[in-house]
Amino acid sequence: MRVLVTVGSTDFDPLVLTVIWQPVLVNLIARGYDKVIIQCGNSAVDFGRPVESGLSFRKDGMDIEVWKFKPTLQEEYSRADLVISHAGSGTILDVLRLGKPLIVIPNPTLLDNHQEELANALSALGHLKASTILDLPETISDLHTSSLTPFPAPDESNFQALLDEEMGFM
Amino acid sequence: MSVTSWFVLAPLATLFCLFLRLYFVLPPSRTRQARKRTEPCHTAVFLGSGGHTSEALMLMSALDFSRYSPRTYIISEGDSLSAQKAIDLENRKDLVRLSLTHRAPDKSYTILTIPRARRVHQSIITTPPTALWSLLACVYHVTIVPFLSRSSHGPIFADVLILNGPGTCFVLCLAVYLNKCFGLPSPKLIYVESFARVRSLSLSGKLLRPLVDRFVVQWPTILNDGGRGDYRGWLV
Repeated sequence: MRVLVTVGSTDFDPLVLTVIWQPVLVNLIARGYDKVIIQCGNSAVDFGRPVESGLSFRKDGMDIEVWKFKPTLQEEYSRADLVISHAGSGTILDVLRLGKPLIVIPNPTLLDNHQEELANALSALGHLKASTILDLPETISDLHTSSLTPFPAPDESNFQALLDEEMGFM
Repeated sequence: MSVTSWFVLAPLATLFCLFLRLYFVLPPSRTRQARKRTEPCHTAVFLGSGGHTSEALMLMSALDFSRYSPRTYIISEGDSLSAQKAIDLENRKDLVRLSLTHRAPDKSYTILTIPRARRVHQSIITTPPTALWSLLACVYHVTIVPFLSRSSHGPIFADVLILNGPGTCFVLCLAVYLNKCFGLPSPKLIYVESFARVRSLSLSGKLLRPLVDRFVVQWPTILNDGGRGDYRGWLV
């Protein structure tokens, strides 16, 4: 089973370092995951080799693949069995709409930290798990993907109804 | 009265009149029942790049394009990605239309580019001239071009303008207010706060909340402050 890790369009070194941390890898293996794919963006993590053209290695019994960016992650999301990501709203929407289990880690260094608000609100509704760098191993071992609440499909009538009302289409 | 007192009074009186006018063009606290519309509605939307663009296009994709036509996508200079995403949406809608009705694509949309009010990381000192340049461009498109042209859509920039941030959308809103102050036809303003905003508003949300005709949020918790706004569930 595949795990996709994404940091989004910027960098998030602590997240990249955490997902190759032994307790995380061990717990992932215990849950049956055997491959971790990391989209590391502009994170400045030293893998001993340049990451520009992508690289793969094995650590603590896990196959790991790292690359910086792809034009779209949509295909990677659909191939993944679990996504671990920053708490950007775009990524959250994309992943939940595909019905994939999602663990988000808000980036605490962002100045205006509304990422955490969104992560906690969606976590309270049971659509995803919000975690932190240090709690990630525990979140993984406690994760019951079947207990997550499916995210509703977009209700397209909402906005149309509101605009119809405002513009006089009755 | 002396000449000097005129020099003081005249600007004061002008300012007073301006504020009075502004007070009368501000949206009412209660929504008025809109007049029944049978004509299609010319819809403009600002695509503020990145997450703003994605959310704005999700709103647009929810609309019946035969009713909300023609469409104007407003993008910031250099944001070709947003332009491409808008074209992709139009093509997708065309395909759906074709498969359902077998009618030819209508292609009734335009992409309008305006200068940015402020670039990311731009210093505070150089922002005012950049913002002014952006405002002039918005006034040109929103006020001057519709005033001079006698196009088939009537002398109006659009019937409705959908905004969801960031900065440059405030400048667009100012241009619309210039129309309102002069009593020129102006689009209705709809602001939709991002799905990412759960408890607090973004800066553009705070700025635009008293100015727009409809202020829409996607989490009910934001309205706990008792301020104006509509919550209709998630829109993206």
